[in-house]
Amino acid sequence: MNEEQYLINKAGKENPFRVPEGYFDSLASQVMSRVDAEGNKPQDMPMIEKKTKTVWLRPVLYAAASVCALFISVTVYQHFTAQTVENTTEQVAVYSEDSFDEAADYVMIDNQDIYACLTGEY
Amino acid sequence: MDIYDDKHLQELLSKAETQREGFELMVRKYSEQLYWQVRRIVITHEDANDVLQNAFIKAWNGLASFHGDSKIFTWLSRIAINESIDFVRKQKNLTTVSTDDTDFSVSNTLMADEYFDGDTTDAMLQEAIASLPDVQRTVFTLRYYEEMRYSDMSKLLGTSEGSLKASYHIAVKKITEYFKSRD
Repeated sequence: MNEEQYLINKAGKENPFRVPEGYFDSLASQVMSRVDAEGNKPQDMPMIEKKTKTVWLRPVLYAAASVCALFISVTVYQHFTAQTVENTTEQVAVYSEDSFDEAADYVMIDNQDIYACLTGEY
Repeated sequence: MDIYDDKHLQELLSKAETQREGFELMVRKYSEQLYWQVRRIVITHEDANDVLQNAFIKAWNGLASFHGDSKIFTWLSRIAINESIDFVRKQKNLTTVSTDDTDFSVSNTLMADEYFDGDTTDAMLQEAIASLPDVQRTVFTLRYYEEMRYSDMSKLLGTSEGSLKASYHIAVKKITEYFKSRD
């Protein structure tokens, strides 16, 4: 047999306790007398109100943050892309000129050989 | 409008000039439900009354810690249950220190208590519950008597549902063994 069922069969679930008559009617006033005697002074709880405002504003704040993030990303991307294209063109130009000279040296030809080759007299 | 509505209570509690009124309404609304949670853990009426009143004073002084992200009852219940567990721990330490031979067993105390209507089996069940470690004792009373869902209990006690289920299962097993050993 299920152990919980064993307990229910054995002892039941009824509340065996009781309270003095009228206890719950007088409890609130007893608690409030103690609050007046021992408790802190009442004060505004801006956290409770602020929370409601923040919850309401949350979607707007998220949207604003997303727009800012997108704007920054686009600006940074455009800046770096333009710089990279410029560098690449320059590098290609320098690279082509240098490598052509190196290649010419390697095969031991000079300008005259090249002209001759181009005009078909080589 | 229902003056006991949680939203209305929260509005009253947020302003200094209406805070006391809101708190009194809150005490009236929830005191009975909280009392039974406390009473099942601490057992006697006198102790339950002291613990519950102390819990309300703590709630009043800690109003700033209530941010409205949980239900008012969950927040109050968390304070009351922590206060009950603290009380039980202190009481256990006192009992351990005591060298008196008088029989202060829970069942004997209950049978002599004018605010206990149960028979010897009920008293034995209370004694078995009282012998459990604090958290198992709390989980057992919330589940067995109130049939509280584990998801709600988890919000209340800040423990995972899995470990709460395990605690309840162990508690039921121990109490069953307690009864079988006395049959």
